[in-house]
Amino acid sequence: MKLTSTLMALTLTAFASVASAEDFPKGSVDYIIPFGPGGESDITARFQQPFFEKLFGEQMVVNYQPGGGGAVGWSQLNNMAGDGSVIMGINLPHIIIKPEQGDVGFKTDDLAAVYMFHYTPDAIVVTADSPYKTLQDLIDDAKANPKQVIFSGSGKGTANHLAQVQFDEMAGIESTYVSFKGTGASVTALLGNQVKAAWGYTTVGAAQGDKVRVLAVAMEDRHPAFPDVPTFRELGFDMVSGAYRGIAVPNSASEEVRTQVSDAIKAINADPEFQKQMLDGGFALVDVGYGADMDAFISEKADGYLNAARSAGIIE
Amino acid sequence: MLEFVVGALSPLNLLLALLGVAAGTIIGSIPGLTATMAVAVLVPLTFTMSPDSALILMGAIYTGAIYGGAYAAILLNTPGTPSAIATTFDGYPMAKRGDGDLAVSVACISSVIGGLVGALALLLLAPPLAEAALAFGPVEYFWLAIFGLSLIAALSTGDFLKGVIGACFGLLLAMIGISETSAEVRFTFGSNVLLGGVETVSALIGLYCIPVLIDLVATPDRHLKAPEQTRGFRLPEAFRLLIKNKVNVIRSSVVGTMVGALPGAGGSIAGLVAYSEARRTNKGKPSYGEGNPGGIVATESANNATVGGGFIPTLVLGIPGTPPDAVILGALLVQGVRTGPSLFADGASIVYTFIFGLLLATVLMLPVGLMIGRFAYGAIVRAPKAALVPVVAFMTVIGTFAIRNSLSDIAIMIVLGVVGWVAGKRGFSVSPIVLGLILGRIAEQGFVQSWTIGDAIGNLWGQFFGRPLSMAIIALTLLTFFYPFLPRLKQIVSRREETPGHDRERAARPAIMRDLIALLIAGGIALLALQQSAHLNPEAAVFPRTIAMAMTAFVCLALLRLALTRHVTEFAVEGSWIRITALPIAMLGAVFLFPVLGFGIAAALLGLVLTVIAQHDKYSAKSWTILILSVTGVIAACTLLFSEVLSVPLP
Repeated sequence: MKLTSTLMALTLTAFASVASAEDFPKGSVDYIIPFGPGGESDITARFQQPFFEKLFGEQMVVNYQPGGGGAVGWSQLNNMAGDGSVIMGINLPHIIIKPEQGDVGFKTDDLAAVYMFHYTPDAIVVTADSPYKTLQDLIDDAKANPKQVIFSGSGKGTANHLAQVQFDEMAGIESTYVSFKGTGASVTALLGNQVKAAWGYTTVGAAQGDKVRVLAVAMEDRHPAFPDVPTFRELGFDMVSGAYRGIAVPNSASEEVRTQVSDAIKAINADPEFQKQMLDGGFALVDVGYGADMDAFISEKADGYLNAARSAGIIE
Repeated sequence: MLEFVVGALSPLNLLLALLGVAAGTIIGSIPGLTATMAVAVLVPLTFTMSPDSALILMGAIYTGAIYGGAYAAILLNTPGTPSAIATTFDGYPMAKRGDGDLAVSVACISSVIGGLVGALALLLLAPPLAEAALAFGPVEYFWLAIFGLSLIAALSTGDFLKGVIGACFGLLLAMIGISETSAEVRFTFGSNVLLGGVETVSALIGLYCIPVLIDLVATPDRHLKAPEQTRGFRLPEAFRLLIKNKVNVIRSSVVGTMVGALPGAGGSIAGLVAYSEARRTNKGKPSYGEGNPGGIVATESANNATVGGGFIPTLVLGIPGTPPDAVILGALLVQGVRTGPSLFADGASIVYTFIFGLLLATVLMLPVGLMIGRFAYGAIVRAPKAALVPVVAFMTVIGTFAIRNSLSDIAIMIVLGVVGWVAGKRGFSVSPIVLGLILGRIAEQGFVQSWTIGDAIGNLWGQFFGRPLSMAIIALTLLTFFYPFLPRLKQIVSRREETPGHDRERAARPAIMRDLIALLIAGGIALLALQQSAHLNPEAAVFPRTIAMAMTAFVCLALLRLALTRHVTEFAVEGSWIRITALPIAMLGAVFLFPVLGFGIAAALLGLVLTVIAQHDKYSAKSWTILILSVTGVIAACTLLFSEVLSVPLP
């Protein structure tokens, strides 16, 4: 596949003869996902794949390098080629929390983040037949029965988990969080009534449709796919949170390469067709490009995540 | 309904199904190339297809890959995909005694039947089965993993205590890296190499395949006993065996469908559970584990049934049943097909065309699989050692790398392989270790989750033992666990004086010393794990600490037994120590050369060195030339296949 498309691309450039040496991409781009296939990082990379090829005439090859909740990939990123031929997915809060938990082979600052392109907003999801009709029902139950409102969620020290910690503090409740391996397993536990609710993402609501009820979403404004679901802010809880995903390059990449990758991802995000696909899937787009914007974004998010992780007892 | 059958049978879809099954079978037969990877590589290609064609192609590759895993399991004692672990138990002994062709045919027919049962369940029973699967909670997954572990007793090759110690070792191996349930870094000894844990598939390759390679180079004996004359596919014989195993094949297919429908369980567990059940009810000879075709029937029908079974939660709930399903789910989303509750109503045409396509692909697997299987068997039986060893060793290296593009995984694979070889010679069979490694993470997650839930509702006992489904699995586990001891129990009860085992000869002093050292090393590992878990938070520590304490206790028991009975289970090392040590050293050397020389050159060099190490026969200059050209040719072709077609970024 790669061979034929390379040949095709070569022929095309030969005829077009507009390509200069500085153009990005110079050839196919390896897009490394530091997780296994099937998760939100993989799915959104797959969404991007055809648009990248459409816009730039080069293949974007998705590769997986799972292990250690992303740490295996991120700890190796800076050993890879910095010429723009390799890009890697990054996730918040992972890249902020993991290095604080011990030596995981990388520090947050080691990663040259060039673009954050979307996030999956945290959301409380219950089954369609749940007695919790509103967020208030859940809070009332949790107040009457401490610890007994049991949430499933994807992982420890993740967006889901930190949202639970933050929300418990804000609402003055004590709930129980059970960590599952990935969103799929967490939703399975919810649908099978193993838990009372899930700290999930808006994507869960989109995928499960009528089977579930989303009680609130942690967004600034309501999600277009769920116009009837209130935000936490509307209900009096100042929470805008979720798992943010973006792209990093090896730190040997020149300023030029960083800007080029940033612009490329930005161009995909600007495609209305891509936007529709993402929103239909329950994702929410963000556009944080390379430079001062990114630095400000990450340091602002880091403060919130680290505070929550400290009160959760995940880090010291 | 008819229109969907017609849709599935369009010339394009037929062609895709045929190509998919053939490609999947070949990919699955290479250790390290899993069904998940086969499907993932294909995804970009499907973007330009219609959703139903894309699904048919992916389903066909998937089902072919699961079946293809059987070849390596039977012919090389190495599961080509994790689903085929239990195929090695009886498949390799069959191949050793010259029945490899029969084993391949049995595997093929069983896979087809299993695949059909799974696909039919998907067609007819998907929504209710998906609902039923949801009743499986964390505690049921925990007990299911324990049920899988109950196979230890059967897989211990004559020394139960050593089997249990091995399983504990495997469980501890599974705990290395960042903990899934508590996100804490464990047992890495400060090394980033171990951060991502021991990758299951590369560990499988190392533990199963490296010992075979070491034994191959050690002596001039033939790899497999060649049949006296070519007996074709031995189809009539295979069909007779299937008829004899009719209960087995149906039960295993049903087990495979149901385990497949459990999100996250997958083909390896389905195969193990089906194998364990088939073994428990087997009355015939030879015993399971010694080359009974029933073991292949059980595993292969079960693992192919997980294909259809796994699509049940994938399509009905939008929750992937098995890892390849996760990839397919993602590809469907890109296509704009939303799986989940509404798909069967809104997207009926896609769903049903796909299911009929899957049925078609499964049927096509019979001729395709038999033919490729026959070829693989012929190639491996006829190949001289000096060609077989370098090619297989190269496959283990490149296959391991391809899983997550990591050179350190290759080193871990080789080291584990040497550990597996030594352990095997000392009577610790490899399979319990693998069982622990595969089931360890599922067991731990289920345990910690159930504990958290039980603690929250203030009823730990009820959470672990009070749920009806759990009780059923516990009962089955006890039955399976004690089954191997039943004959002896009966004997003890009926004729007290005659207890077998006691008439065995006492071992000589050197053998006792060797066993003592092995047991002390095992004890040391257990104590190290105990010491390492001291500083972990309770959630991350509870499971490994329990295992380490159990392991310490078993080691003490084994030491006590050694002191009292002076019995030693061990297998003699045959052949040349120089060749035995040279093989892993050459392979490890290559790992360090890959970044220096580039993958292709280092791999070719490794091939040449291994050809010399494995060479026992006298060759003429002409045969040497042919040998070297063909070995380097295969290595070059595979390197190109991996880097260009499969897009693996080789160093």
